[in-house]
Amino acid sequence: MSGVPELLVLRLLTDREMYGYEIVKAVRLVTGEAIGLGEGVIYPVLHWLEESGAVKAKRKSVNGRERVYYFVTTKGKKRLEHLSNEWQRVSGGVNSALGDPGGATGNA
Amino acid sequence: MRESKFEALKLELLQGGVAPVYIARTLLELEEHYTDLEQDALADGLSREEAERSALAALGSERHIAAAVLARPELRAWSVRYPRFAYCVRSATTIGLIPGMPVMFCIEHRPELTRWAAAIMAAATFIGGILALLDWMIVPV
Repeated sequence: MSGVPELLVLRLLTDREMYGYEIVKAVRLVTGEAIGLGEGVIYPVLHWLEESGAVKAKRKSVNGRERVYYFVTTKGKKRLEHLSNEWQRVSGGVNSALGDPGGATGNA
Repeated sequence: MRESKFEALKLELLQGGVAPVYIARTLLELEEHYTDLEQDALADGLSREEAERSALAALGSERHIAAAVLARPELRAWSVRYPRFAYCVRSATTIGLIPGMPVMFCIEHRPELTRWAAAIMAAATFIGGILALLDWMIVPV
């Protein structure tokens, strides 16, 4: 499951800029609550993505609240593409093993 | 009240060498997140105490959050990530400051030094005046 939060966050941020709470709610929504991140844990992921240049943050004052909005960068889009391909490859492999474990072993 | 909610987390992150900018951001975002959770819980009809408990539970324990931050070395301060480089910079800065310290002292204490210099000059002028007067009065035989 390593890299899943990163993948989900980047995917969601390609649609529009969001702040942490919105991202957590969106993750819950798009995954049908299959993936429940500890909500506070989203911030180290976001900060790490920012540090690596995949996302950028900007502060906005909304209704007297200070929000930190994140949006994905060109580098982040490339990273998302790479992670998506990797995820498809891994999940395809796992699905294939679950569907036909003998065949998968026999092919190895 | 709210400011103290994540004090333990702040301390743990500081001790772990996390960059101050990320500590501040983490605390700010957690506070905002907590407020959102609490408001949603209140809107769902929970009492204030239940809403607070529910918000804190949803955020996760401070220890868990701290572990997630500390697991990302990229979020640590550069002096923690590159300690040898930091020591070199500190030493170079200290050595560089030594010759500059008298100058900095003079700049910092400029008013006192100006008064002191003016007093010395006034005293020297006064003494010089007296000596000149005595020279003029005493006629060599």
